[in-house]
This record gives sequence, structure tokens and C-alpha cells, in this order.
Amino acid sequence: MAKKSSLHQQRSRVGIIFATPALILVSAFLGIPIIQAGYFSFTEWNGIDAKWLGISAYVQEFKNPIFWRVLENNGLLLLGVPVAILFPMGIAFLLNEKVAGWKIFRSIYFLPTAISWVVIGMVSMRFFAQEGLLNELLKAFGLGFIKTDFLSSEKGALFAVAITFIWSMVGTNSIIFLTGMATLDQSLNEAARMDGAGNFRIFRSITLPQLNRFIQFSFIITVISAFTALFSLIFVMTGGGPGFGTTTLEFFIFQSAFSRGNFGTGAMLGVILFFMMAILGIGQLLLMRKKDE
Amino acid sequence: MRSRKYTPKSVTVFISMCILAVIMLYPFLFMINTSFKSKEQYFGAPGRSTASWVKLFDALPVWKQLLNSTLVCAGAISIILVVATMAGFAIAKMRSKATPIFFLGIVGAMLIPLQSIIIPAYINASKLNLLNGYWGAIFVYAALGSPFATFLMTSYFRGIPDDLVEAAIVDGLSYPKVFLKIALPLAVPAIITVIVLQFIQVWDDLLVGLLFIQDPAYRTITVGLGALSAGRVTDIPVLMAGSLISAIPAIAVYLVFQRQLVNGLTAGIGK
Repeated sequence: MAKKSSLHQQRSRVGIIFATPALILVSAFLGIPIIQAGYFSFTEWNGIDAKWLGISAYVQEFKNPIFWRVLENNGLLLLGVPVAILFPMGIAFLLNEKVAGWKIFRSIYFLPTAISWVVIGMVSMRFFAQEGLLNELLKAFGLGFIKTDFLSSEKGALFAVAITFIWSMVGTNSIIFLTGMATLDQSLNEAARMDGAGNFRIFRSITLPQLNRFIQFSFIITVISAFTALFSLIFVMTGGGPGFGTTTLEFFIFQSAFSRGNFGTGAMLGVILFFMMAILGIGQLLLMRKKDE
Repeated sequence: MRSRKYTPKSVTVFISMCILAVIMLYPFLFMINTSFKSKEQYFGAPGRSTASWVKLFDALPVWKQLLNSTLVCAGAISIILVVATMAGFAIAKMRSKATPIFFLGIVGAMLIPLQSIIIPAYINASKLNLLNGYWGAIFVYAALGSPFATFLMTSYFRGIPDDLVEAAIVDGLSYPKVFLKIALPLAVPAIITVIVLQFIQVWDDLLVGLLFIQDPAYRTITVGLGALSAGRVTDIPVLMAGSLISAIPAIAVYLVFQRQLVNGLTAGIGK
């Protein structure tokens, strides 16, 4: 008995030693900074001296119309999320037919996942430009009158960013759904078909519920990407402009701090972004736990 | 091998997939096509040339920046591997009262967006004099990558039976020995997944490199390219040549380790 308890002690002691490097690293570069961000969000801070403003720092920012303009951009980008989920779901269904060469197609669709937003942004910029391929395609389809430099108008630029974002999510999301489809129980389909259910009915009542977990996962990945992964794309493609046309919250953080020197405001915007993502993450966890019960 | 049937349906599916393939490959085709043109040829003059490639190597210290990218990746990934395999093994196989809180902290850290911590982290790093070489970026990348890597390693180590570990302990091995001699060799597939995921993440990143590497001599290729384009270099073929060369290592890794990348991605879905 004594031996067992000393073994137990050894186990937890070594366990704590093993966990310590991760604890130190994550605390030093994520944990402490997020607490600092919380503190400095209540101050006016230039990176050296901080003046305490208290809650009025937040009140002031909430009165700033540019702040709401930026959130509106995030909201508009979210409109792309359903497309960024449904389109790849369709692609996964196509891949799942497993026609000749489907594995090669799968590799091709997933390939953009490997390249950086800097590269994607640079190509995308030419695609949407006045002399770019998009305008040429429009002309070819007799829609030449639409011809415009998409990146020169606020809405056009945001549209271009959204389309690029959706395009870049294709690989990730179709792989998620393809993984999901491999788990589908085919016998359910056959049973339903025997009972006279049509294709659409089978899809809605049998396939979709089985894919639920994967839809949730792709939803969360897509929303997190829309809020936190587009900095480099925007940096390269539009620089946040024209005006504040493509400035999203994450880009606004960077601008506030590193272009304007308002480190306090930047920290505050970072805290707001953190809470948005935390609510999303916790909501997801609760939803999953509810289902497990 | 089952025989392929050429039904109207399968032909339609095949054609749709071909169209889609062109859409997904478009950036690569555009980069290859454009980079082998001079500026004049890009604007309509006939022919091809390697002039833009020559210009690229004048405008950007390409080899040096590729080396910088490699060093930063290697540094960050090494730290992540050490930290995450140890922490994952601790959570999975050396449970104590502190384990659930620690695990919760790791999962919580996965939720912190980079932009939320970047300002204080940047100021801290500048005070610690970490911005003048590779180390600032290496530590930030390592800290950002460690939580998910730990999560991945934890679920992998959980798949190793407790009995196996206990039997080795009863035979007189210490926990660190079990970790090194039994657990790590078994975890090679998960380790490869971590390496591949992190390599692509770090190689492709702009923001951390932009802020945490202040000396241009230490810049990574992605940051070099980002800076070149932000400087409004209007020579598009040169930018495309740069894009292509910066993308090639990541594409190569992707082509070889595709399966590990997919595993890493879908690991988050859980059981």
C-alpha cells in the first residue's frame, strides 16, 4: 500500500514537472499578455506611459462611428459564412461520388491551404483589378457594362475580400465534410428508400442530421477564420481601404496600435475580439456537451 | 478494383470537378504564367522571359530570407515539440489533481486570438530585447502553436493503454524513461502531424514576423514579400515570381504530408 502511494506521488510530481515548460511558455506569451491587454484596455497608452481612463475608455470607443463601421464590415463578412460552408459541402458530395481521379481532385482543392495569405492576396488583387480576369470574364459573358475596378470602391473591395475568403475555405471545409461523409451509415439510406423516401427527403432527414457535428465544426472554423485569419489578406490586398471599407476588427487593432500609436485602444479592441471568440467557443462547447448527455 | 461506369451522372460530376480544379489552381497558373514575363510582356508585348526572376533576386535577398524562414520554423517547431509532447504525456498518463485545470488552461489558450495579445506581447518582447533577432518571433510562434499541439499529443497518448505504462513502471522504469523509450516512439505519427501543421502555419505567417522581427536582415520570405508588396512595387511579374518561390516549400511539404495535414485538421472534431 505504501509503495502504491509513493508511486502515485512520483507520478503526479513528474507530471507537474512535465507540464511546467508548456505552462511557462503559454503563460509568458499568451496568458500574461491577455491579462495586460485587459488592464491596458482601460488606459490611454503609447507603449511606454499609460494613463488610467477606466470604463470611459470603452464608452468613448463605443461612441466612435468608425468602431461601428469596422464591426459592420465583420458582420458583412459573416454573410459569406453560409456560402463558405454550403459550397464546400456540395463539393464534398461530388468528391464522395468517387468518380475517376477523385483523389487527385481532392488534393487540388485542398492545395490552397498550404499557401500563405500574402500570396493569395497578391493574386486576388490582380484578379479583381480593372484589367483583371474577373472583368474579362464578365465581358465574355456579355456583362461588360459591370466592368469596374472592384478594389477602388468600399463595397467592391469588401466583396473581393469576401470572395477570396470563401475561395480559401473551400479546401478545409470540403475535407471536413468528406470526413463526415465517410462516417455516414448507408443502411439508413437504403431503409428510407425502401419506405419510399425521395432523394431530398433522405438528404434532409437522414444525411444532414448525421453530418451535424461536422457542420458545427466547419461553422466554428469558418467564423474564427473570418474574424482572426484575414489580417495578411487585407494587409496585402487593400490595406484596410478604400477608406475603412475593408477594415475588420483584427485589422483595426493593428492600425490603432502600429499606425496610430494608440496602444490602449488597440488593446481594448483585442479584448473585445477575445470575448467575441470566447463566447463563440464556449457556446460551441455547451452545445456539444448538451448533445452528449 | 471495381469497374468504373460512365453514366451521365458520373460524367457530369467529373466535368464539374474539372472546372472547380481550374478555379482552385488559378493562382498557381497565374503565378507561373506571369512570372515568366517581363513587365512589358505582362502588359501585352509578345513572348516570354526570365527578366522578372532576375529582378526578383535583385529586389529581395531571396536565399537569405528562405534561410531565415527555415531557421524560424525549425526553432519554433523544436520548442513546440519538446513542450507539447511532455505536457501531452503529463495530461494523458500522469494525472493528478492539477491535471483538469491545466488541460482547461491549454484548451482556453487555444481560444485566444493572436490579435488580442499581440500588443502587450510586442511591448514585452521589445523590453526584453527580443525583437532584434529571430527569438521574439520564435517564442511567439511556439506559444501560439503549443496549445493545439498539446491537445493533439494528449489525445494521441490517451490511445496508449494505461496498462502498458504501468507494466513498465512496475518493471522498474521511471516515468521520464517510459516517456522517452515507449511513449515517444509510439507517437511518431502525431509528431509528424504537429511538424507539418506548424511548418505551414509559421512559414505562411505575416503578422508575427512583421512585428517581432525588426531587423530586415532576419526577415522571413513571407514577410519580405509582404513588405515588398506594401511598398507598392508595381512590377507584378516580379511579385509573382516572389510569390511562387515563397510558396514552393510549403507546397512541397503539403504534397508529401497531405494525409498528416488532414489528420491534424480533423483531429479537432473529436471522436
